[in-house]
Amino acid sequence: MKWIDIKAGFKDFWNEFKNVKFGLFGLILLFIFILAVFLNPYIVPFPEASSRWRDITYWEDNPVSAPPVWVNWFSSTKRAPSLIIREHTFSEEKMRKMKLTRTIFEYEYSYDLPPLDVIFHGYAKGSPVIMLNIERPDGRIVELVRRPISKSDGKIVRISIAKDTRIESYNFGAKYESPEQNRIIREMVKPTSILFSEAKEGILVHPTPLKGAYKIIAEIILPSETDVVEDVYLSLSGSVSGWLGTDNSKRDIWSGVVAGVKWALLIGLLTAFTAVSIGVIYGVMSAYLGGWRDSLMQRIFELFVGIPLLPVLIVMSAIFKPSIWILIIMMSCFFWVGPVKTVRSMGLQIKEETYIEAARALGSSSSRIIFKHMVPLLIPYSFASMALYVPSAIVYEASISLLGLGDSTIVTWGQILHDALTGGAVINGLWWWVIPPGLFIALMGMTFAFIGFAMDKILHPKLRTR
Amino acid sequence: MYWKYCIKRIIYGLAIFIVLIFIYSALFNTTMESTLRSQIEEEIHAETMRLDTRMTPEELTRYINERREFKQHLYHLDKPIWKRIVWRALNVLSLNFGKATIIRSSAGESDVWTIIAECLPRTVLLFTTAIFINIILGLWLGIKKAQKAGELLDKTTSIGTMIVYGMPSWWLGMLVIMFFAYTIRIFPSGGLHSIPPPTGLAYYTDLFYHMTLPVLTLVIIGFWGSAFLIRNIVLSILQEDYIMAARTRGIPERKVLYGHAMRTAAPPIVTMALLSLLASVGGNIIFEGIFSWPGLGNLYWISIEQNDIPVLMGNLFVTTALYIGGLVILDLIYGFLDPRIKVGGKQ
Repeated sequence: MKWIDIKAGFKDFWNEFKNVKFGLFGLILLFIFILAVFLNPYIVPFPEASSRWRDITYWEDNPVSAPPVWVNWFSSTKRAPSLIIREHTFSEEKMRKMKLTRTIFEYEYSYDLPPLDVIFHGYAKGSPVIMLNIERPDGRIVELVRRPISKSDGKIVRISIAKDTRIESYNFGAKYESPEQNRIIREMVKPTSILFSEAKEGILVHPTPLKGAYKIIAEIILPSETDVVEDVYLSLSGSVSGWLGTDNSKRDIWSGVVAGVKWALLIGLLTAFTAVSIGVIYGVMSAYLGGWRDSLMQRIFELFVGIPLLPVLIVMSAIFKPSIWILIIMMSCFFWVGPVKTVRSMGLQIKEETYIEAARALGSSSSRIIFKHMVPLLIPYSFASMALYVPSAIVYEASISLLGLGDSTIVTWGQILHDALTGGAVINGLWWWVIPPGLFIALMGMTFAFIGFAMDKILHPKLRTR
Repeated sequence: MYWKYCIKRIIYGLAIFIVLIFIYSALFNTTMESTLRSQIEEEIHAETMRLDTRMTPEELTRYINERREFKQHLYHLDKPIWKRIVWRALNVLSLNFGKATIIRSSAGESDVWTIIAECLPRTVLLFTTAIFINIILGLWLGIKKAQKAGELLDKTTSIGTMIVYGMPSWWLGMLVIMFFAYTIRIFPSGGLHSIPPPTGLAYYTDLFYHMTLPVLTLVIIGFWGSAFLIRNIVLSILQEDYIMAARTRGIPERKVLYGHAMRTAAPPIVTMALLSLLASVGGNIIFEGIFSWPGLGNLYWISIEQNDIPVLMGNLFVTTALYIGGLVILDLIYGFLDPRIKVGGKQ
């Protein structure tokens, strides 16, 4: 087959394919998925999710198990979303050798549920003292924390209001709370819910939100000239966070799910391609060679048919703990049996064609006849079955990951679901953790099913609807 | 001759099973032996605890070494590797799977075969019920689709088939549990029956009540596919010449469909039903774990969690036997329904 024939054949195929609406829809979906892989850094807030999925420091500013931001659109109680505030006003005073700087962050609070945490970040050198205060819309200023930094050559300072200001917030709240209502234990207080509430009776027990402009003021004393605190910013862990919420280890699910697209495509396409290629060549060889070779190849094929795939993959994964590449190879080793039967019967038909006889009469070798004259005719069929094997490969990997046997250096949808299952997402109704990864598996499966069924429809005109 | 074909097919299935068992034994030999060795050490340790305490340290070491040698001889660990593999494969073929390290059967026994035999019927019950309902619904929808191929119902349900094509059943199971068991709380979240299990007739109603959610999930995922396949089978038969001949003779459409078309369609549909049952064993079995349905699939979960290698391996052997048995039965039924198959070969 010459290149020009392949081109013409492809053109004909495409002309037919264009008419199958769901096939086109599948192609569009596939295009979107591929786009998501390439645009990954631009569409997710945590672009390193794929490589640092199990690195807790990468996620520490996120809230725990927070629902997605868009639940606010459907709910009457508005929750504060996660936010990073970098803008600030800066002023400094000099007192002999010492320096006093004031950094003011402004936060417009107009929600019913406060953020879970407000975290101050900075990079400190020398031995500065950081004092954090909050100025509320009602004019009250609460002194929150005073943190001296021991002499350092530069380290990251992280002050979390939820963790480090329990006592100060409690004391502030206790001033307004009536004594008989004041039964709350000091260790149980949520500082942010006190600081973002009206200063009146009930502030500790049933707080009413105080909306308006808050100022978070960081006063920093720098004892010597060389001391600095730079790169300051404030991050708020909202009570809603990100497009798909967070899980119980503070990971952003949207970032994880998008990182999984790449791996799903890789697993699906690579497995389907290898397996179907092996299967088609095996089937054609079996058909063409015939005789005892055919019988032997058929016996080997039947042996593989007798293997229950998922159980064997599970046991092999449990015992050998394979990486994702080994898993792909393992799956290819079992998936190739799929197309063999059909290909063999097609090959038996092609074998009888006169041009094959002619090629043989001219003295072509078996490999030349198989690869040059028989396999190209099966290419359309191969592509159709490849498309239909992609979803199964993805589901098998996901099933193995669901059991906790996945490759722990990457993040796949199955692994997110495994974490969801072990993290009690089903019992606690954390739907934003359970639905998206599975939905993406289903969507990816649907994409390739659309493409595969469309090709199938073109290849088997008998079942075409009249 | 049908029975000759049967015997041939069964022997052939057995041969495949035996070969596979040998392959498994060779493949997982190292792991299984290391488990066995640690089990031996544990047994010896337990024995020394019961011993006379007045033994000198030398005597004790000698005793331990003796026992170790004896036990290693007992389990053939002192033989060359190929002999160990053959011994293990033969052991498996005589249903001697060894002892579980942690998992116990409901009666407290640690024999792997007892544990698996307890789970086996539950898996069969769950999946056969689901496939049965699947096929009934699939037949109903598939015939409708084939009769009106290309019309709205056919097109929309075909798209439904493609939508669920790559959907993992266990994920749908998670959603179903979240909704039915924890949000509106009308079904139990899992298990085989309530604790303590009721007696008499109530036991069975309780069992069905617990089976509802898993079966529902399997049916929602499965019946689209069977409807689509049945549609294709029936449609290709409806395009045959003899159907057209029957129609021209003025035979009513109902009779053409059920009398002529469905008779030809029966063998492939039965095959399809059994194949989907096998596909459940081969690809869907861990679904049980989501519903804590205590079958073979759930046993995979538990044995991996507890790192119980003997149970894991025994489970694999039994699943393979089940799978190959299914394939053999499939061929037998097919040969019975379609006489052309069993003649086969060169005459």
